[in-house]
Amino acid sequence: MTSVAFGVVAALTLLTALLVVRVTNLVRATLWLGASLLSTAGIYAMLGASFLAGAQVMLYVGGVVTLMIFGVMTTRRHEGLAAEAESTNTGRATAVSLALFVLLAWAIHGTPGLDVPATNGVGASPEALGRALLVDHVLAFEAASVLLLAAILGAAVIARRRDPGVEVPKPGSRAASMPHAAAEAP
Amino acid sequence: MNALVHGALYGVVIVLCLLTTVAFGVWFERKFAGRMQSRLGPTRVGPYGLLQSFADIIKLLQKEDIIPADADGSLFTLAPVLAALCALGAAAVVPFSPTVIASDLDIGVVWVLAVGGLMVIPTFAAGWSSNNKFALLGGMRAVAQSVSYGVPLVLAVLVPVILSGTMRISGIVAWQTSHHWVAVWPVIPGLPAFGLYMLAMLAESNRIPFDIPEAESELVAGVTTEYTGAKFSLFYLSEYVHTLVGSAVASALFLGGWDGPFAPGLHWMALKTLTLFALVYWVRWSLLRFRSDQLMDLCWRRLTPLGVALVLASAAWVQFAPGAH
Amino acid sequence: MTLSATLLLASALFCTGIYGLLTRRQTVGILLSVELMANAANVVFVSFGAARGGTSGQLFAVFSLAITVAEVAVGLALMILLYKSFGDTRVDLASEMKQ
Repeated sequence: MTSVAFGVVAALTLLTALLVVRVTNLVRATLWLGASLLSTAGIYAMLGASFLAGAQVMLYVGGVVTLMIFGVMTTRRHEGLAAEAESTNTGRATAVSLALFVLLAWAIHGTPGLDVPATNGVGASPEALGRALLVDHVLAFEAASVLLLAAILGAAVIARRRDPGVEVPKPGSRAASMPHAAAEAP
Repeated sequence: MNALVHGALYGVVIVLCLLTTVAFGVWFERKFAGRMQSRLGPTRVGPYGLLQSFADIIKLLQKEDIIPADADGSLFTLAPVLAALCALGAAAVVPFSPTVIASDLDIGVVWVLAVGGLMVIPTFAAGWSSNNKFALLGGMRAVAQSVSYGVPLVLAVLVPVILSGTMRISGIVAWQTSHHWVAVWPVIPGLPAFGLYMLAMLAESNRIPFDIPEAESELVAGVTTEYTGAKFSLFYLSEYVHTLVGSAVASALFLGGWDGPFAPGLHWMALKTLTLFALVYWVRWSLLRFRSDQLMDLCWRRLTPLGVALVLASAAWVQFAPGAH
Repeated sequence: MTLSATLLLASALFCTGIYGLLTRRQTVGILLSVELMANAANVVFVSFGAARGGTSGQLFAVFSLAITVAEVAVGLALMILLYKSFGDTRVDLASEMKQ
């Protein structure tokens, strides 16, 4: 029974992932990514990682997908979404990804000891995970929070509104060397 | 297999009860609002106008289903369905009584937050797929508001989790039966956390004073401008259900759930949930709405630091107060 | 449901991400493909964690999740900068250093 359920959810994950990379409309592609990430959360739940499944839905689907959708909305006009020029290297890309998949499958097949049931080990309760994060690996935890802070600040600084003529661009920066480019952007 | 059947059965019953409560809740709101405004409210359909909601549902269902010409058809249809699913889904882990719970998840609190956070997607999808500038504007505002107020919501919900030591909502209720209700004692993280949760829940369900995304006098109907008939009724329903489920979660996490001074059970949970639900209406019909920037300012500059302080206070309480666990 | 089955799923997701990375021209498309690849890596972590027991698998996945979210935020900020500079978010526009 669980194998059938796993097969269904795995197929769903893979199918939505294929749709993400093939669909031309970017908003739809982002929503298919949301669906793929949701199915992955289902896989985590089936593997016993319930907290991670919940965190995946909260962070990825509720956060990352939203961010990307904002990104798409602010940079693309509604009418221009489907008018994406077809890429010229689909053939080579398919060859590369298929070759990589064959290589990985062969490596997995060749590694001994991988045919164990997927839920062989004792599941980690949220309490055990919390203890591991905050007691055993607290340094990595704090470093990750510093990283997130740096990412927030960096993203805010990179994408902030620059009024032309009010700010003096730093010497050596792109805006300083090519001021006409910044003024020219439609 | 047993858990699946149990969950499905209880789930169906809970969903039906929630939908009926919402139907009568809409009637109650209109009566309540009417009395607050010195008028009667609905009186014609059924005794005291009780069947008004059912008449409204029938009216909405038989209206023409219009999809705008350049709208993204499948997204347009999917959005209200997804919104209703997300609103109802959060009720799966709420213990309505010591025995009535659809799915007693280990990570119940995370489930509620995750499913509530999923509401962003159908709101955005509705605004985007309507191909309407007002809807898009409402959608962007709704998404910004939803995502921003998720932070104080998570922080407020962390307080009962820290105090009781478990993320299982039935476990939090059980802790409250042996200790005090979270909103009552300890007063300092408990009561402000309850207030913070109610504010954040109001903002997440886009209720006044946080209903900029649907501001009736500004954005026509915001995100739901282009929706008619059955789809509109689904959105309308999902907003009320979201509020009702948010109140149920608040009663379970902060007010002790099914616990009561005598005869603990389903009736106490119902009483607390409906009281909070009525409180939401009271606020809705009394206050003006916040402006977008006031809303964001309130969230990031006041509620989030308050939430962080409350989490720290509850951790300090657990560590230092005698007999806290 | 064996460990090798979950690993095969993760490999397939990863290769799908690679296909998207190589094919897409819009920055958002590339970010979506990178998300798929990071997700596949997380599946590998969680599968090994579930098969071997203990918290390490989920722990790695939690950190990987946090880092990926940070990377997406910065990537989208860069995309907005690209849009402000060139008016469109196609990655082949940022090629002014070519002669």
